[in-house]
Amino acid sequence: MSRIELDSVTKRFPDGTTAVRALDLRVGDGELLVLVGPSGCGKTTALRMIAGLEAVTSGTISIDGVVVNDVEPRHRDIAMVFQSYALYPHLSVYENMAFSLRYRGARKSEIQARVAEAARILELEPYLRRKPRELSGGQRQRVAMGRAIVRQPRAFLMDEPLSNLDAKLRVQMRAEIAQLQRSLGTTTVYVTHDQTEAMTLGTRVAVLSGGVLQQVAPPTELYRRPANLFVAGFIGSPPMNLIDARLERGDGGPLVVFGPHRLRVPPSVLAGHSGLDRYLGEPVVVGIRPEHLADAALAGAPPAGPAGGPAPGGPAAGESVIELPISLREELGSEVHLHATIGAAAHAGAAGDGDDVRSLATIVARADPRSRIAEGTIARLVVDAAELHFFDPATGASIRDG
Amino acid sequence: MAAHPGRRPLGPRLRRHVWAWALFAIMIVIAVVMLYPFWYMADNAFRSPGQFDRQSGHSLAGWSELFANLPVASQMLNSTLVCAAAIAIILVVSTSSGFAFAKLRFRGSGTVFLLVVSALMVPLQSIIIPEYVNLAKLGLTNSYAGAVLVYAALGTPFATFLMATYYRGISDELIEAAIIDGLGYERTFLRIALPLSLPAIATVTVLQFIQIWDDLLVGLLFLPPGQRTITAGLATLSAGRTTSIPALMAGSLISAVPAIVVYLIFQRHLVKGLTLGMGR
Repeated sequence: MSRIELDSVTKRFPDGTTAVRALDLRVGDGELLVLVGPSGCGKTTALRMIAGLEAVTSGTISIDGVVVNDVEPRHRDIAMVFQSYALYPHLSVYENMAFSLRYRGARKSEIQARVAEAARILELEPYLRRKPRELSGGQRQRVAMGRAIVRQPRAFLMDEPLSNLDAKLRVQMRAEIAQLQRSLGTTTVYVTHDQTEAMTLGTRVAVLSGGVLQQVAPPTELYRRPANLFVAGFIGSPPMNLIDARLERGDGGPLVVFGPHRLRVPPSVLAGHSGLDRYLGEPVVVGIRPEHLADAALAGAPPAGPAGGPAPGGPAAGESVIELPISLREELGSEVHLHATIGAAAHAGAAGDGDDVRSLATIVARADPRSRIAEGTIARLVVDAAELHFFDPATGASIRDG
Repeated sequence: MAAHPGRRPLGPRLRRHVWAWALFAIMIVIAVVMLYPFWYMADNAFRSPGQFDRQSGHSLAGWSELFANLPVASQMLNSTLVCAAAIAIILVVSTSSGFAFAKLRFRGSGTVFLLVVSALMVPLQSIIIPEYVNLAKLGLTNSYAGAVLVYAALGTPFATFLMATYYRGISDELIEAAIIDGLGYERTFLRIALPLSLPAIATVTVLQFIQIWDDLLVGLLFLPPGQRTITAGLATLSAGRTTSIPALMAGSLISAVPAIVVYLIFQRHLVKGLTLGMGR
């Protein structure tokens, strides 16, 4: 049981690249903190510094209040699960799990008891005599976990432990890791590039990009209140639609204008984003989650009536409904993704996952599967304007309070 | 291959057959060329000088002549001792330094490794005289120690290169896992790296065994008559005014056997070790 603290930790490699920049993190006792970010964002380097496998260039790392910068990995009392599992190929499952205890001078009876217990928890009892090469991927993963838990360390460090498993097994092991961590209550730092894994596992999630911490928050808050454009684009799948727009003064309050489209900003949003006042007449980046775009025919919206604004008729009519040509309809069974072309620029700086390649001026709506909107037609989509996100186009920061 | 007009080209199956047979024939020729000397050696070891001249009839005369003129047993023992000691030194040095070059980060690692590897390009003959002078100054000529040290020095660069290549193939995560599990680099080397590198160790052992066992120059130069290796002994056998070919063949046969046995024992590992690092 322990706390891990990183104070302004920086890692610069000899070739001059800065992998981690002034990272501040607090991992609470028993917490599962997920470090997430695209490849090369410094998350693995950060983890390796906590493990002691990389030296810290500046700043301090402490475990339970003791600075461990110069403490050797073996004296930090932490266990690590590697992406490749790193099982000792010449040792049996039992010996792999017993390995560390043996070299830490544990008594034989105690080693046996602890390995047996871990094997029971992880359902590895039938395989104790096998060599790693005789195991399936999922079983190897379990052995790697077992090797970590028999030690009863102060903390677990996990470096993309599920990325070598196939999709189905990954979901299953993800649940098992979450349960295991909760039942053991061991402080855990978990690194992944998969935002779904991050969201489902983390007590809190730290998003890194370019070696810089973007935001640390519980998953829901990360999703609902992303601190900046990077987090907004990175968390969520399909990612948030980010559109270059202008905030203009309308009759019944501010309007978001992009291309030919106008969206009324409801008073509730204004109240929660007092900083918006300063952007009147200025460019902003507006963010709309795919699930906040719905088929108007199913949403029960009147033909030209605003859903969020109090201005029936007049020039402000239709300010929460936008009409867009649908270029692609993707059936997912439980939902339908509608790709629509907008007559405005998608925000170019929107940081996607990297693997989310979408053409720029396209937005995605996550619609009800009953929607009958077809490809090649013009669809009427209702925007849940209460859920709009606003970002400063220059800094990328979320616009909230003044 | 241009198809002749009006004639059907060979069917793919037939063509494959022709290729297979052609290849087979070539292999047979190569095998004969390689094995004929062995046959010649084995055949003529069992003749007397007269029978050798006539190339007919067999006897054990060559063997009795060999044992009469050469302390075969003690020279075989000398060969074995020198080989074992030199290989032991080579293995200790090459495994530990190979691991260091492959897995430890230290200043100048690349340069030193390059120096070690460049030693591979120096032929023995070009340094044998300075080597002799060095050992003479240390008072190590005319003893096992001198020959052992020379063999070890000659074999270590290649062995180090091979071991370093092998250790580079072991994932860094495995080493790091051991470090985190509480081992220092020394014990990580002994408990993890060393057991995993058995195929490479076998390869080094076989290659060095054959090299050292078969060597003549160092044995002749650095060992006194009483401690000669079998190859050096056989060389003295032919140095006299008359050379008994059957006796020489018998001696060669005896001295070839250990190398063949060692090769056969480690053969599987040898191939595994040599093709290692060619992509996995």
